[in-house]
Amino acid sequence: MEVLNGWWDDYFWGALIVAKVFTASLSLMVLFGLIGAGAKLSENRVAQKIGGAYTVIFRGTPEILVILLLYYGSAIVLTSIVQVFNPDVRFVDVPPFWAGTIAIALIVGSYATETFRGAFLGVNPGSVEAARALGMSPLQTFIYIRIPEMWRIALPPFGNHMLSLIKDTALISIIGLNETLFVAKQAITVTGKPFTMYIVVGLIYLGFSTIITLAIMGVEKYGNRTTVGAR
Amino acid sequence: MKFLLIKSMAIGAVALFSTVNASAETLRVGMECTYAPFNYKTAEGELAGYDVDVAKGVAAIIGEEFEYVCQEWDGMIPALLANKFDLIIASMSITEKRMKKIDFSGPYRFSTGQVVGSKKTEMNLFDADGNPIADNFDGLKVGLERATTYASWFADKLPGADVVLYDSSESVYLDLQNGRVDLIMTNPMKAHLKFLSKDDGAGFEFKGPVVDEEKYFGIGVGIGMRQGQDELKEKLNSALKEMINSGDLESYAKKIFPFKLHKDEWGQ
Repeated sequence: MEVLNGWWDDYFWGALIVAKVFTASLSLMVLFGLIGAGAKLSENRVAQKIGGAYTVIFRGTPEILVILLLYYGSAIVLTSIVQVFNPDVRFVDVPPFWAGTIAIALIVGSYATETFRGAFLGVNPGSVEAARALGMSPLQTFIYIRIPEMWRIALPPFGNHMLSLIKDTALISIIGLNETLFVAKQAITVTGKPFTMYIVVGLIYLGFSTIITLAIMGVEKYGNRTTVGAR
Repeated sequence: MKFLLIKSMAIGAVALFSTVNASAETLRVGMECTYAPFNYKTAEGELAGYDVDVAKGVAAIIGEEFEYVCQEWDGMIPALLANKFDLIIASMSITEKRMKKIDFSGPYRFSTGQVVGSKKTEMNLFDADGNPIADNFDGLKVGLERATTYASWFADKLPGADVVLYDSSESVYLDLQNGRVDLIMTNPMKAHLKFLSKDDGAGFEFKGPVVDEEKYFGIGVGIGMRQGQDELKEKLNSALKEMINSGDLESYAKKIFPFKLHKDEWGQ
């Protein structure tokens, strides 16, 4: 354990970056998932096609590839676009934090799209009919009936997506973000103790996933507080 | 995957070069930060090592501020071409293959490779002249770092060897200890300092002479930059020469090794 002396602070900052990437990509992931589900469920043919393409592409390609393409590709594409308007610009940089965050949010968001779509379809038609019979507008029905039923259905698979998300953050070290795995690699090259250093990374991730699992359990309990016994 | 990436890099690079270069700014330097003793981060978070000393020396001479970016080895050249940084000072050998995509300064360190294997196994891999005996490599599991001079040397000279490629030099050493590979080829200076002289490496030894065939290993390790920056290249070259002639480069090497890592004629 002595070899870890001096590296704790680096691991702490690494873990903080993991937490930041996770929080930012979680919000984006929900957004992408809802937009995706909305597109796939819409009556507009074009939106359906775009939503379909999104899930096919991002569920069907390796995560690491998406991260690399987004990081290296986006800088080049953005630079070429900006230079059309302002040729003096040398380059437009996408920082690894945002490239990585957006990449994993897009990937996990494509899975969430299917989860949300399934959950919306799983809303009891009886509830919707009852709402209409009570004279609720479509917007009211959406907010008071569909959303509350939908998130309860979506919650268990959504918990899995959150776990995928936290684990995907480990991939971001490839584009140079100083997260825990990167800290471990730096520590290994100096101390020559790979197992100790990797085990610390494992424990940090276990910590994060335990918190997520407990949080999901708590929310699930809250969501079911009125339905327990009624089922 | 890599091919696609490099291809898209190349296309993008053309788009970049065709535009006007704006005024000089802080130069950003890409390095691995995980390649002790050449470039690494200490527990205090300070960058250290031979490459880092060279970078700081050059910065002082040419009077520019350097900013350091940590980048995995695999993506080093793509990242340079995508403008993520401006210079590579990361123990990168000057090879013909790399010169097709990027430019290099003159050399500031030897570039060599040497094979390491277990003391327990008898291996007759090289003849008296130091040339590899191809037949004796057949079926041997060899661990190498991806996209390195060692990998291209093996691919061309010893196609019979069963090569396993890794992303980092640490993984290569790890799998040698695990017995997943029989042999590795690596930087002899690093191997001696970080492995063979330590407990973990006690059961291992060099299994052949130092290889420095110029076609594969180049004339040495240099500073990489995007093509078409002749003015910058001139500045870097004269700074390196100044450091060789003043003895600074030698002092950087002697912080780590009992010998210098360059030839004095590089300063001419």
